[in-house]
Amino acid sequence: MKRKLPAAALLYVTVIVTCALLVFPIYWLIVTALATPAELRALPPTFWPTAPRWGVFAEIIEQRPILLWLGNSVLAAAGAVTLSMLVSVLAGYSLSRFKVRGGQSLGLFILTAKMLPATLLVIPLFGIFRMTGMIGSLWSIILAHATLIVPFTTWMLKGYFDTIPRELEQAAMVDGCSPLGAMVRVILPVSAPGLAATALYGFVLSWSDYAYARTFLTNAQTNWTANLGLTTMKGEYVSNWADISAAALIVALPVLLIYLFLERYLVGGLTAGAEK
Amino acid sequence: MAGISIERVTKSYGPLQVLKDFSLEITDGEFVVFVGPSGCGKSTMLKILAGLEEATSGTVRIGGRDVTDLAPGDRDIAMVFQNYALYPHLTVARNMGFGLKMRGMPAAEIERRVNEAAQILGVAHLLDRKPKALSGGQRQRVALGRAIVREPQAFLMDEPLSNLDAKLRVHTRAEISALHQRLKTTTIYVTHDQTEAMTMADRIVIMRDGEIQQIADPDTMFRKPANLFVAGFIGSPGMNFFRAELTGARTARLLGREIELPLAKAPGTRELLVGLRPEYLSAGATGPVTFEATPRLVESLGSEKYLYLDLAEENRTSLKDAGSDDRRADQFIARVMDADHVTQGQPVSLSFDPARLHLFDPQTHLALN
Repeated sequence: MKRKLPAAALLYVTVIVTCALLVFPIYWLIVTALATPAELRALPPTFWPTAPRWGVFAEIIEQRPILLWLGNSVLAAAGAVTLSMLVSVLAGYSLSRFKVRGGQSLGLFILTAKMLPATLLVIPLFGIFRMTGMIGSLWSIILAHATLIVPFTTWMLKGYFDTIPRELEQAAMVDGCSPLGAMVRVILPVSAPGLAATALYGFVLSWSDYAYARTFLTNAQTNWTANLGLTTMKGEYVSNWADISAAALIVALPVLLIYLFLERYLVGGLTAGAEK
Repeated sequence: MAGISIERVTKSYGPLQVLKDFSLEITDGEFVVFVGPSGCGKSTMLKILAGLEEATSGTVRIGGRDVTDLAPGDRDIAMVFQNYALYPHLTVARNMGFGLKMRGMPAAEIERRVNEAAQILGVAHLLDRKPKALSGGQRQRVALGRAIVREPQAFLMDEPLSNLDAKLRVHTRAEISALHQRLKTTTIYVTHDQTEAMTMADRIVIMRDGEIQQIADPDTMFRKPANLFVAGFIGSPGMNFFRAELTGARTARLLGREIELPLAKAPGTRELLVGLRPEYLSAGATGPVTFEATPRLVESLGSEKYLYLDLAEENRTSLKDAGSDDRRADQFIARVMDADHVTQGQPVSLSFDPARLHLFDPQTHLALN
């Protein structure tokens, strides 16, 4: 026990420092949003505003079309995630279950697509979208984000499906399901934690994009996503950091809500009880 | 309920042949056990029957209907898996009713059948639980329940007891036998445990390397093994094997004695493989042939003792083929009752009846008597 004590203490210190590093930027964002301009410039810095400006959020929503931007971001992310999940569920399941010639190489090829930097694809995608008349449309963002999301989610889901015993599908097939029916009725419900984690990953990836939105949507203000809109709040000579921080908090809120909603699915263990 | 006919089924994975010309007729209501060591092809044959694997060649008929190319759900069979394969997202009731729902049965009839099966298996109080809230034994019962509610033509069971602890296994074994007596549904049961095979089966099919070694009822399998592999596989502890050189037309030297062999005619070889079950060696000079030996190890099981005895060089044989991998060439085992006086390192008189000896051809390993 005596030897374990320093190790435990080290563990706690590491956890506390890591948490502090992760939480501090969010805390500082909140402080910056609620502080007065004088408090923001004060030295030593103010760690909690004396009279927090709670009205700042309502002001931002009134002054800027932030709700429209948020709506566009939600549409783009939901569209990209739906499209990606449709593709990657089928692809991941096939890679996990069917042993076909070249299947493994195909899987690795899909993974290498993930290794390409997103910016590398901006120019070819721009060319394609211009040809198809999609520049300025949210569809351009949905499709572009899906190309980023699909390779990784396919592999995430393949890994998850690999952990589900094949006997579950076999039992469903003996019970009268077709192979596709067994997947839909048994494997997908059992995979809820994996699907939730994968969908969340895709959502965050799409939500945090700036480069594609900046390239494909610049001239279509009504289709701006939240990230693109946020950057327009920064002035050339003067920036209102309190307003920008408040807007950033509003933009971060949907991801937080989605995480809270999916959290119960993210906790594994749903397959417990399938086997011995 | 229906008979099952398996005709010349083979299965290959590339160059690897896992089932070789498997043929078997199973009558309506029969309980047949496929038994054999790992990799012998017994589970593959069961999956071919279920439609979960495709046979390379051959035909499978259930109730006279050719089902070789039918999907698993169209074969009217139910299967119990080794790991139960319960649907973790469904309650016990919905697990059991899943197959009926897939067949479009009305909800009221599903409920009636699920309740009836749950009563039979004693899981009626668990119907609203999810599988993760059940013990291993309860999951096993639910898996059985999922099979019986379907009232299928046949049950296929793939080592359903192997995940249970020893005590529960014995209990559930008896329950499955009782269930079969009650339902009279044709059952094919796969196991690697010869005790399960002996206690449950109407007929046992012993397999090895994709080939049937013998098909017989448990008593015949024990008393008249067709070859060395079956002889060594059935029985616990396994049969003792000795090399015996013939000293006359029907006599050989065994355990330091001249023995009259139970042979109808003289064998065509100078040497024989002789088998003797440990339980047919008894303590004291009670049998026709008596010899002295010193146990190197004595294991007491309370009612009986296992004596591990040194074997003379002339009778030793190293058999790779005799149904068990852990056989030692330099020892044999006696399983004796009423042997309180027997202790390790002390000479003891043992006897046996030569009529109990099993004789095998040393080349073909087929039984001679």
